[in-house]
Amino acid sequence: MYSFMYKNQYKAKIVSNEKLTAKLYRMSLDAGKITEKVVPGQFIHIRINDTLKPFFRRPFSIYRAKNNIEILYEVVGDGTRMLSSKKNGEVVDVIGPLGKGFSLPSKKIKQVIMIGGGVGVAPFLALSDELKKIKCEQVLLYGGRTKEHIFNMKEYKANGCKVSITTDDGSVGIKGRVSKLYSKINTDPERTFIYTCGPKPMMASVKEFAQKHGIDGQVSCEEVMACGVGACKGCSIDTSKGYKTVCFDGPVFNIKDIKF
Amino acid sequence: MDLSVKIGKAKFSNPVTVASGTFEYIKDYCSISDLKKLGALTPKTVTLYAQQGNPSPRIVEIPSGMINAIGIENEGIDAFISGRLVEFKKLGVPLIISVSGKTETEFKMLAEKLNKPKGLSAIELNLSCPNLKKKSLVAQDPKATYSIVKAVKRISKLPVIAKLTPNVGDITVIAKAAQEAGADGISMINTFSGLVIDTKTRKSAIGNFTGGVSGPAIRPMAVNMVYNVAQKVSIPIIGMGGIMTADDALQFIIAGATMVAVGTANFIEPKAPLEVLRGIKEYMKKNKLNNLKQLRGSLVR
Ligand SMILES: Cc1cc2nc3c(=O)[nH]c(=O)nc-3n(C[C@H](O)[C@H](O)[C@H](O)COP(=O)(O)OP(=O)(O)OC[C@H]3O[C@@H](n4cnc5c(N)ncnc54)[C@H](O)[C@@H]3O)c2cc1C
Ligand SMILES: Cc1cc2nc3c(=O)[nH]c(=O)nc-3n(C[C@H](O)[C@H](O)[C@H](O)COP(=O)(O)O)c2cc1C
Ligand code: FES
Repeated sequence: MYSFMYKNQYKAKIVSNEKLTAKLYRMSLDAGKITEKVVPGQFIHIRINDTLKPFFRRPFSIYRAKNNIEILYEVVGDGTRMLSSKKNGEVVDVIGPLGKGFSLPSKKIKQVIMIGGGVGVAPFLALSDELKKIKCEQVLLYGGRTKEHIFNMKEYKANGCKVSITTDDGSVGIKGRVSKLYSKINTDPERTFIYTCGPKPMMASVKEFAQKHGIDGQVSCEEVMACGVGACKGCSIDTSKGYKTVCFDGPVFNIKDIKF
Repeated sequence: MDLSVKIGKAKFSNPVTVASGTFEYIKDYCSISDLKKLGALTPKTVTLYAQQGNPSPRIVEIPSGMINAIGIENEGIDAFISGRLVEFKKLGVPLIISVSGKTETEFKMLAEKLNKPKGLSAIELNLSCPNLKKKSLVAQDPKATYSIVKAVKRISKLPVIAKLTPNVGDITVIAKAAQEAGADGISMINTFSGLVIDTKTRKSAIGNFTGGVSGPAIRPMAVNMVYNVAQKVSIPIIGMGGIMTADDALQFIIAGATMVAVGTANFIEPKAPLEVLRGIKEYMKKNKLNNLKQLRGSLVR
């Protein structure tokens, strides 16, 4: 009989591991009934190999939780490179869903804006699925760096989400930063809610924009993680409410509370 | 099979615990029935007053390990006793409470406060704290180690364990000082100081500049130190440093450790302490041993 320290640790079989662009992959994991527990914005902590390399687990936002738990990831280093070479049927050790996810907007909100930079767009498909259920108008502003970060976003569109894209080099969509798309935002703070995830400078610009217009919102933060469960305090960040762990208290925080 | 061990008057049903700072009882996630199998739990070091810890980044991965400079982020002893400790106690697993002070007076106050809650098994002194008189850590100075252990022994009703740093020339000298001062046990080792440089920025990869190295990368040094200390002191040793598997833990026991603590491995494989316990039992069965004593310090030379 095997013992587990955590109730939400399990071996998940890889159902698919598809290359979307030169840099981006999408992996689908069979997590059984656990899939039903996922709140958009939560993440899973994956032990990529059962050897010592890579040493830490790697955290990934849950991209979608329909039949399987899916992640969208970018190959940036050894760990994600090893993950990208995994074959269907192989098994990885997973802990999760972990952390506090997004809270859905209140009834009076008429328009939800999701602003994603690069692979920071990952947590938004699961969110989009929920927004569709509550019939909320949704807009995705997506800043990919180059066309290597642009994939077809038909699932967002199928949810009725309006997608606008920028790339730094103009290879797809509008040339420039995602901030070029802020003009698409209805700036009535009573009716609009913002979610953002991506590089810190981008989230800082979103915060500035939101504060200027008094719009409320949530951010999903990233920090290097060891335990992923709130034990090591390795991922603590300084917030307006004191030090908070990204893995347990977050990764989703109110945009007002984060210091970029 | 008798796996029970003792440190001072504290009894533990088996030798496996967790290293301070690497384990937290998270109600939402933990499987309590499995947790109860461990010999003891050692929560993160608590200080007299709340500490917010060091700036980020606080952790960096290295080959087969990590380096950390958390800065003992904790809520302070009073909030700990009325909060987290209450939850820990509900588990019914023996508790070793780790504390650290900035001065001898702080250590004494911490010991005093820990005399009140019922049902604690032992107090562990994290002596990897600055020694104000000298530019070193307490556990780098035999006199300071002696003095603090002695002071706490006078006050505490609990068995006292001194936790030592490996950042010394001869760790046996510090261990002997702790024993002379009346320590009931020794916990070893804490992390090795280390530096990782980000060559892009030519800055340290850690917010606090230097940090402590832990994980399998330090295990052979830790086993060697436990062996050397076991030759020089008679009080029980809690061995730690890079334990990931039962085989790793067995090395510490064969070198002379009475208990073993799983640290960094908890982050990688949270069930590691349970697997370690299972593996120790398996090993004893296979080798027809019925008492852990037969294994302890059985290194063949
Ligand atoms: C809550 C959370 C959700 C995330 N979701 C996604 C996602 O959906 N898709 C995705 O592609 N990436 C995501 N990331 C980032 C992802 O974890 C890193 O890109 C990945 O760990 C890099 O590993 P590597 O071995 O390839 O890179 P290396 O550069 O070799 O990694 C070295 C170390 O740095 C850490 N690290 C590197 N980049 C990051 C980063 N951006 N954030 C945090 N730690 C990092 C690694 O975990 C590792 O400890 C998320 C991070 C967090 C904290
Ligand atoms: C993230 C982290 C935090 C730690 N915090 C503490 C602490 O608060 N008190 C303490 O005595 N030791 C602390 N340690 C040291 C461990 O308890 C242990 O002595 C050391 O890491 C060696 O064991 P390991 O290699 O199995 O981790 C910490 C170690 C790590 C990695
Ligand atoms: S990664 Fe350990 S507390 Fe967040």
